[in-house]
Amino acid sequence: MIAFSSCKNDDGYHAVTDKIEAEQKPYHGNSSSEELLVGTDLITVKEGEFTFLIPERKEQIKSYACIECHSKPLEQMKSPEITKAHWDIKLNHANSDAMNCATCHNPDNMNNLNSLTGKDIDFNRSYKLCSQCHSGQFEDWKGGAHGKKVAGWAPPRASMTCVNCHTPHSPGFELRWPVQFNTQKVIERQEGLERAEEH
Amino acid sequence: MSENKKWFTLDLGLNKKSKSSGSCGCGNSEGSCNSRMQEVKEEELSADEFYERAVNAAIGDERKKDGFEQVFDVKMDRRDAFKKLTASLLIGAGAVSSCTSITKDSDSKEKAQIDWEEQFKGNYKLMTNDEKKSTVDRLMRSYELRTGKNINISSKNAEEDVLFGYAFNISKCQGYMNCVSACVEENNQDRNSQMQYIRIHEMKDGKGFNFNEADDNYYHEVPAEDHFYMGTQCYHCDNPPCVDVCPVQATWKEEDGLVVIDYDWCVGCRYCMAACPYDGRRFNWSKPEVPENEVNKNQHYLGNRMRKKGVMEKCTFCVQRSRKGKNPACVEACPTGARIFGNLLDSNSTIRWVLENKKVFRLKEDLGTEPKFWYFMD
Repeated sequence: MIAFSSCKNDDGYHAVTDKIEAEQKPYHGNSSSEELLVGTDLITVKEGEFTFLIPERKEQIKSYACIECHSKPLEQMKSPEITKAHWDIKLNHANSDAMNCATCHNPDNMNNLNSLTGKDIDFNRSYKLCSQCHSGQFEDWKGGAHGKKVAGWAPPRASMTCVNCHTPHSPGFELRWPVQFNTQKVIERQEGLERAEEH
Repeated sequence: MSENKKWFTLDLGLNKKSKSSGSCGCGNSEGSCNSRMQEVKEEELSADEFYERAVNAAIGDERKKDGFEQVFDVKMDRRDAFKKLTASLLIGAGAVSSCTSITKDSDSKEKAQIDWEEQFKGNYKLMTNDEKKSTVDRLMRSYELRTGKNINISSKNAEEDVLFGYAFNISKCQGYMNCVSACVEENNQDRNSQMQYIRIHEMKDGKGFNFNEADDNYYHEVPAEDHFYMGTQCYHCDNPPCVDVCPVQATWKEEDGLVVIDYDWCVGCRYCMAACPYDGRRFNWSKPEVPENEVNKNQHYLGNRMRKKGVMEKCTFCVQRSRKGKNPACVEACPTGARIFGNLLDSNSTIRWVLENKKVFRLKEDLGTEPKFWYFMD
């Protein structure tokens, strides 16, 4: 039996990308993330061609609704007699020339967020606020290249929204120690070096 | 099912109780029985004759094609091996010492039965679904008999219209290694040798992907200045060189693209380890050990079930999770969202969006291994 060599794989495709192209179809299989998503409150997001779920936010904010304390405009609340609130929030987001509290919050309407042009943005849709500046990240997030899924790979798609990973007041990731250090590898490398020296 | 079995059954009287213990008329199946003793004496079998009969009974239809022959297409006479094994197993089960001990410890007898059937089962790749189920049932029972604890081993097959793929965002990885520890815990990797499937390489900016100068075992605050991080693991190649070199076909590519290993078929030759251009495979130089309270009991035959000394293992994209619709443990654990997993055949999946809209590349693409693991940057 003569075997002809070919650059094609057993399944007849030249490359895995060809296979993906040829065999793709919208997935309607048995695997589903529905079960994994039980217990997470989700809302539907429609942005351009993308429709997916993100976690609901307002219920997670302990002090919502804000107007329960912010019963009058902020200017009128600034007084030495009233206990200082939000003392734990330190803004570490862009520099102070570009941003302050009022860039995102409307002092006259604390229950909603505030777009750059002064329009209301619901706390559940806070990604709209972030996307005003972070347009690149927004595009990647919509497509699925930026951010994490809430549960599994299988449909329906449920993605984390910006504030699930980034604290809006200090969105950067901090320096920290790795959670893993392989002491065995250190020993093996040392042994390898010693053996190399012997020869 | 028993008609088409690809391995041999040692009948110690567990499966057909009435038949094999029928010689005893006292009706007492447990404990000592005088009438049985006498009967055994009457037959006056020497030890050798007893082995001979047991071997004959066990071999049964040995000359029918079995897993070995399907793979190699050669005839082998394993009579001698059977003979030795039968002898040792019978002694282990107490079957030859005296009549009383045959029935005294039915657990050890069952253990011997399971060990026998496990020893001579076929290659998982060739098993029918029933056979797959039988072997995982045996493994679960065996674990229960040995430890008194229950585990769940799945034999779930690949699903249609699914081809798993992975993307790794080099701009996002900060080198925290949460993926590594999640992987070790999920996949019951040996704690003594500190085996890990994933390596995170710390690389200096401006030097490209220079693995020679990269460090995969750093311990300082991360991300370090002027460095970037990239992770490597098994890429589940579409054209896997590790599979081609395996002399016993103990490793293969499943329909959903996962490259898997039958730990019970692997002979530990490590050809695959040498053939992999990505250092994706690991070898158990010693018996893998995981403290009982840390064992992940949700297992898959091809995934994180306990391995033994002398076999290969590697990343399976957490087959025990991914075939249930979950993400692999590394994807779930990543705090930066650098890891993206999904179905390559689903045109609506996020992994497909990444492949079509980001500038992706694979490692050593010129080798033609066709990894299903892409790297990209923001």
